[in-house]
Amino acid sequence: MTRRYWNIHLEEMMEAGVHFGHGTSKWNPRMEPYISSKRKGIHIINLIRTARFLSEACDLVFDTASRGKQFLIVGTKNKAADSVARAAIRARCHYVNKKWLGGMLTNWYTTETILHKFRDLRTEQKMGRLNRLPKRDSAMLKRQLSHLQTYLGGIKYMTGLPDIVIIVDQQEEYMALRECMILGIPTICLIDTNCDPDLADISIPANDDAIASIRLILNKLVFAICEGRSSYIRNP
Amino acid sequence: MATASATLSSLSSLSLHTTANSRISLSKTRNPFFTKPTKPSLYHSFSSHPTTTTTATFTVKSSDIDTTFFDNFNPNDETDTVFNPPERPEDFVAPPSFDEGPMETEEEIALAYEELYGPAYSGESYLGNDIYVMDSKVQKKTGFGSKTKREKVKDGFEERVVQVRRVTKVVKGGKQLHFRAVVVVGDKQGQVGVGVGKAKEVVGAVQKSAINARRNIVSVPMTKYLTFPHRSEGDYGAAKVMLRPASPGTGVIAGGAVRIVLELAGVENALGKQLGSNNALNNARATVVAVQKMRQFRDVARDRGIPMEELWK
Repeated sequence: MTRRYWNIHLEEMMEAGVHFGHGTSKWNPRMEPYISSKRKGIHIINLIRTARFLSEACDLVFDTASRGKQFLIVGTKNKAADSVARAAIRARCHYVNKKWLGGMLTNWYTTETILHKFRDLRTEQKMGRLNRLPKRDSAMLKRQLSHLQTYLGGIKYMTGLPDIVIIVDQQEEYMALRECMILGIPTICLIDTNCDPDLADISIPANDDAIASIRLILNKLVFAICEGRSSYIRNP
Repeated sequence: MATASATLSSLSSLSLHTTANSRISLSKTRNPFFTKPTKPSLYHSFSSHPTTTTTATFTVKSSDIDTTFFDNFNPNDETDTVFNPPERPEDFVAPPSFDEGPMETEEEIALAYEELYGPAYSGESYLGNDIYVMDSKVQKKTGFGSKTKREKVKDGFEERVVQVRRVTKVVKGGKQLHFRAVVVVGDKQGQVGVGVGKAKEVVGAVQKSAINARRNIVSVPMTKYLTFPHRSEGDYGAAKVMLRPASPGTGVIAGGAVRIVLELAGVENALGKQLGSNNALNNARATVVAVQKMRQFRDVARDRGIPMEELWK
């Protein structure tokens, strides 16, 4: 794996508050090697390890993107939903913004059926056929369309199972993590002091509560994806 | 810095994915009784077939993504925790954050996505691609009278029904009857799987259980005389099964479920006995457990680092 420079600075991370963990009473003892100290009842994450894991994750992501694989970013906390969507659009990846429907990956066959329906509804909306129906029918269909748009809007370009999944908060997206583990998809996960570092393939210990810290890490990963993609375009 | 020679299933107690702790090993290998074989081989065996059954098995194409560089990471070792990034190149320009800068228009976004993935399920196409390109993936709904028999032996696995039982669920309105089928699936070359499925009709139950069986396939270690390397016992629930190798020409001498599992695995000479309960499903699963416990002689010699002749002293 080629190691590249990813512009990761410890001062930057401290500014964004990446080193703050959760309260001391809520910790998971498996995180013990990644916690450096306790301050005022909050665990402080060891940033050197975070930086190392983050740069390794970026390398992996760059490598994978330069082979033309598909990514999926999952983040459903309402604080992070917005930035997840923007990050994914910027990196041209699939994303799940709102609730992760159970079985989205393990029951991919059914998800495909719903995506078909979504596509048909969208084509009908474009052709304007929805307005020609009676009011009640058109209202129902429009409601369905908006529902599908919120839940599936980010994965409407996904043709098959993704190759790498990036998860923003392990406690929130536990279902998504489980599905990827069942299917054997490599995952990159943001771990806080109350999460289990052994579940994901690459876990980045960081603060998952502050928007700034999520943005910082997503920034680096998105940058890595973009670089990988451009190198894929240059020589596939 | 972890070297590239680290294997995914490294058993060192220092690794990040410590398998010493059984809870973690459970999370890495989902169900101890139905552990899949090494991931790439399972999915490669299905990768060449289009979606056949109604609940199709989808392939994971990520077998060439190498995430093994952390398996030898020892967080307690101080030398492992230095952060030595490569040198900053002179012309490195920090890219803008994804939040800054003007928001791209819908059209630009759709165009960029379409370049990468094709129109997929978006329902619109800016580059002139056919928006119904994903329709070929959908199987036609099989109505009455159309043949669903084409999913018979497509991937080379033979199915055999061990037991079909009628089970009842009592509700307020009466009794609801379902059929539960236990099916063993195997090619005769060392791969077997046991599956259960329930449905309102026997045929549907058999199909569901066949699909389930194909998901939990195990490989049987066999010698060149088509028998086991050594004795083993396995149990699942209250069923306990003892398996013993036999000399060529013996055939499979075992009772009901155990015999079917061994025959479909391709084992020709073996002895088996059901020691605990005689529940067919549990006995089939217990033979799978027993078979998984077996090790080939060369694997043991390799793991212990000694030549094979030592094992027979």
